[in-house]
Amino acid sequence: MTTIDTPASRLAARALTLAYDERVVVESLDVDIPDGKVTVVVGPNGCGKSTLLRALGRLLKPRGGSVLLDGRELAKLPTKQIARTVGLLPQSPTAPEAITVGDLVGRGRQPHQSWWQQWSEADEAAVTTAMAHTDITELAERPVDELSGGQRQRVWIAMALAQETDLLLLDEPTTYLDISHQVEVLDLIRQLAVPGERRPHGRTVVAVLHDLNQAARYADHLVAMKSGRIVAEGPPGKVVTPELMREVFGLDAVIVDDPVTGGPLVVPGRPWHAQ
Amino acid sequence: MTGTPLTAAKSAAARPAGYGLARRGQASFLVHRRATAVALTLAVLTAAVSVLSLSVGETWVAPGDVVQVVLGQDNPNELVVGTLRLPRLVTGLLVGLAFGIAGALIQTVARNPLASPDIIGVSQGASALTVGAMTYGIGSYAVLPWLSVTGGLVAAALVYVFAWRGGLHAARFVLIGIGFAVALKSVTQLFLTKGDALMAQQAKVWLTGSLNGRGWDASRPLLWTLLIALPFLFWAARAQRTVSLDDDTATALGVRLQRTRLGLVLLGVVLASVATGAAGPVDFVALLAPQIARRLTRTAQIPLLSSALMGALIVTAADILARKLFAPTELPVGVLTAAIGAPYLMWLIVRSRTGGKA
Ligand SMILES: Nc1ncnc2c1ncn2[C@@H]1O[C@H](COP(=O)(O)OP(=O)(O)O)[C@@H](O)[C@H]1O
Ligand SMILES: [Mg+2]
Repeated sequence: MTTIDTPASRLAARALTLAYDERVVVESLDVDIPDGKVTVVVGPNGCGKSTLLRALGRLLKPRGGSVLLDGRELAKLPTKQIARTVGLLPQSPTAPEAITVGDLVGRGRQPHQSWWQQWSEADEAAVTTAMAHTDITELAERPVDELSGGQRQRVWIAMALAQETDLLLLDEPTTYLDISHQVEVLDLIRQLAVPGERRPHGRTVVAVLHDLNQAARYADHLVAMKSGRIVAEGPPGKVVTPELMREVFGLDAVIVDDPVTGGPLVVPGRPWHAQ
Repeated sequence: MTGTPLTAAKSAAARPAGYGLARRGQASFLVHRRATAVALTLAVLTAAVSVLSLSVGETWVAPGDVVQVVLGQDNPNELVVGTLRLPRLVTGLLVGLAFGIAGALIQTVARNPLASPDIIGVSQGASALTVGAMTYGIGSYAVLPWLSVTGGLVAAALVYVFAWRGGLHAARFVLIGIGFAVALKSVTQLFLTKGDALMAQQAKVWLTGSLNGRGWDASRPLLWTLLIALPFLFWAARAQRTVSLDDDTATALGVRLQRTRLGLVLLGVVLASVATGAAGPVDFVALLAPQIARRLTRTAQIPLLSSALMGALIVTAADILARKLFAPTELPVGVLTAAIGAPYLMWLIVRSRTGGKA
């Protein structure tokens, strides 16, 4: 018997069990996503990161337990209200054939519109800002299927930004990006969490990243997963340890101080030429 | 990207490229410019072909006289044009509109042009029940539309149930649909051979999709269905914007995907079935019209209005050819649409087998 406490954070999971058909991927997981912070989820391929994110964004119905948004069960909230509060960028979204960049980004405004109010000044402002922040303003009239992988990824991020949600869930937003655009997207994610006029507490961001060093560098809160369980969570400085690297990734690693940030830097040990 | 201030500059680039904005008070509507131009052109073309359709026949009636009759002015050709030819034209127009919309809706949901009501068993279900009734002497236009809708819905429901495996996969949906279409065609043949020979002969003509002798009583149920469907089509046009994205993205935008899809399919199945009831299965119009329309408008989703008008244009133009090609022998219009549609269908199948995106 589990009793549901009222979590301190806006988005949380309690005794969450997630499954595809008969296959249980995540079992009885508890997590609190700190408000106004950047939470980064790491873990080996197939450990259930995307599955967890999809459940937090209501794309996957829990087999057991619940996801709580502002203390209320996600499954019981109106979908449109959720979509105005929580945005999610899936790991590999696909665009309809021949859609233009501006058109796709504009569709992020869906939860703010109705059939008789299809485009407002607020929509215009949100889309302009989102496109400027992802550096795609010049691409507005180009068809999405003619873009490079990196450009396309930035278009999808812009679409999620245009949704203007307080909480944003991003599944591997830096895949396909070259190193400089990776850094730009990560900087942008950090900037989203900075308090501003419209959001005194800043946005809450949850991102799945596969680069551990980027995760350690950009996260306020790091969540390490393995086989559907959370193995460790907390500030990167506390979480990233040689023991954890061995347990989660099966990797012998040395942790040194990042010469730029002073945070943890993972250096894989025993490279092939040192054996 | 990071240097830009968080407050947005006003810019025309923000409105989706290619769209104009129609505003009235609080209400605002996005209007795709090219799609609007295409729809207008198709409307003008359809009007012109309609006038031509009323002009040709055993006797030629000048277009000027045709227009006078249609506008309700006194004209000696009133009987030929107004009483004999106009009902047939109107039936053809409505059938084309309905098939065009039905194809657009179902293709949108399945994200696959092959998933047209005339390919996946809806038309065949409507036909089977209608022919069954006809061969047992039920031929009243008060009953037939209900029968065809029932047949179409039952066929669609069966395809849905058999294709469902914890989710709907487009390819399986299409394959099972084609299977049902073939099975239902044999049921129709069974009715034809078992039933009364004279009735079966009439049913056979109906089955090829013919506008010959279709009067007002054939088109009335279809007209009502289209009028009632109209407000739902406004909803559908907006729903298409999100349904054409991938499932996860659409759901993240707050769309109740299963419910929306069901609504769109239901609308399409009813329209296709009633149209089948009015003129028989005029094959391939539902497959062709949306695909041609989309290539013309270059929109990200299949345009409803242009698909509807393209359907009307195809049926009306094909009916003129059907009447004149081997005059005085009339071909059923369904033979003509099949002659264009079948090669296109084969091309689609070949292309999907070689891995191309249809
Ligand atoms: N749609 C699905 N159907 C069945 N199994 C799935 C599905 N999506 C993911 N899985 C399985 O669930 C497990 C976790 O997947 P996922 O959450 O995508 O992992 P990660 O994002 O951490 O790489 C994997 O074993 C994967 O095979
Ligand atoms: Mg993943």
